[in-house]
Amino acid sequence: MALIVAEGLFKSYGKVIAVNGLNLTLDKGLITGLIGPNGAGKTTTIKIVLGLLKPDRGRVEVFGQAPWDNPKIRTLIGVVHEKAFFPSHQKTLDYLERTCRIFGMPESRALDVLKLVDLQEARDRSIQALSAGMLQKFAIAHALVNAPQLVVADEMTANLDPQARSALLDLILQFHQDENVTFLLSSHILPELSRVCDSVAIINQGKVWAFGELTELYEKYAAGIIRISTDKPEALAGEIRKLPYIEKLEIDIRGISVKVPREKEENLYEDAPKLARRVEAKIQGIETGSASLEELYRLVVGANKGG
Amino acid sequence: MQRGKGKAFLEIFASAVYEDYRFPVLEFFAFLYALGTFVFASFGSMSMSATGEIVAYNVVSSLLGMPLFVFIILIFKNVAYGLGSDIEKGIIQTFFSYPLKRRWILSAKLLSALGVALLLFFSIQISALYILAPDVVTPYLGTVLLTYAANLSFPLLVAGIILLVTLGLRRGGLALILGIVLYFALGIISSLAMFVAFATNSALGLQILSVISPNFVLARYYQPYGPIGGSELWTPTFSEVLLYVGASYVVVASLFALGYLYFSRRFGL
Repeated sequence: MALIVAEGLFKSYGKVIAVNGLNLTLDKGLITGLIGPNGAGKTTTIKIVLGLLKPDRGRVEVFGQAPWDNPKIRTLIGVVHEKAFFPSHQKTLDYLERTCRIFGMPESRALDVLKLVDLQEARDRSIQALSAGMLQKFAIAHALVNAPQLVVADEMTANLDPQARSALLDLILQFHQDENVTFLLSSHILPELSRVCDSVAIINQGKVWAFGELTELYEKYAAGIIRISTDKPEALAGEIRKLPYIEKLEIDIRGISVKVPREKEENLYEDAPKLARRVEAKIQGIETGSASLEELYRLVVGANKGG
Repeated sequence: MQRGKGKAFLEIFASAVYEDYRFPVLEFFAFLYALGTFVFASFGSMSMSATGEIVAYNVVSSLLGMPLFVFIILIFKNVAYGLGSDIEKGIIQTFFSYPLKRRWILSAKLLSALGVALLLFFSIQISALYILAPDVVTPYLGTVLLTYAANLSFPLLVAGIILLVTLGLRRGGLALILGIVLYFALGIISSLAMFVAFATNSALGLQILSVISPNFVLARYYQPYGPIGGSELWTPTFSEVLLYVGASYVVVASLFALGYLYFSRRFGL
């Protein structure tokens, strides 16, 4: 069952096109990541899905209904915005209890969700006295108050330290497994998404460039990726690039990533050591199929640009 | 509105009141209202030959001066800065995640901004009337109410314009500054309208002014030979007074309706 259906969404701000014919279907029970560079259209897409913005063209349905000014679906959704803001002079627990009453939930849930994000000791602090990280945790607690079926989060880990990020990812997995909560997560921190996401939508220039389960996308875009670790990556890459069957080659801090047709993988395993001897480079390791989500993203962007 | 939604509305209203009137804002404005109403009220200049209605009008008018100005400051603060800051900071975005129609969210904010300010205003005004002029209120209740209605229309008109400006600008501080500029600009426009009316010997300027600020038409009705003068130019009948007061509220209601329509149908974040 699809919880979110977006078809042909288009939204511009003056001459700037934020979303340009975007299509996206989000199925129930999945954790889906929205990834893309700054200005790709992620936040605008999320705002349209949440009914905060009207698209200029296109159709969007959330739980089968149009989200604009629709209170019915809001009881089913938890929201974490990129920048979290709440009435600042109220105390954290007081405001969460108020939110419980707004959603018709028992007030005791307020303290439960504060404990979930490890913020129970700040229960009597006013919201304006919270640090950026604590405010982000509070926003997450606020999003979980109504026991949502769908959580939409825009850069939810932006202000958190590594330990809190890790704990939050565990929390997402726990909610997903225990309560079958569906998540739509937008983030720039791709390793985090790869840890929790079942599927990703790669957005660029206002369009979805690739969408699907991670395993499918790896198979489609990252099959035939061979990583070569060496002490002279520039020199060795120069030689490997000359091989006729190389489809794509990138150098990063971890070494050389080479994309070759499946049937040519063995050839590269044979050719790389020979080329390394030619440039007096030492090969520290060769492995197949270890592309990260970041590499997958680059491959998708490259493929869509015809690279 | 269903019962559950009523509760959500009341919670957002309570939250807005908590933010708008946190200590010592409410206490400070209550003090200013009381000070303006009781200390600066002056009934000394009233003519002994005046009718009961004119006395009632003069008593209410004399109680209004400074409190009305304080009321305007309070609604500027709440509508322009309060609502504008909520939009600017993203708190409205948080409210939009609650199971409530946009119009009820705006109503909760406006009820806090205007409703509580009006309640405070009337509580002190009515108390003052019963304490300072107990013989006037009951027998001339119609005149008392009409005087209040005529005087409150202008601040509400400014509040309606500020609401539209705030929704358009989405910035609390800027909306507040523009609101203040607008208030004084409307005052200057009113003076110009009066000047043009007298200079051209045409009542049209006075009639336009009466729609913007119907206290003007009421003053001309009760005091045609008052300080403004020009009784030969236009002395309205009581029906005309009612018509202009009604028309001014139609303008006020239209501005707020426009604000609601924009907020509900077009206002994107």
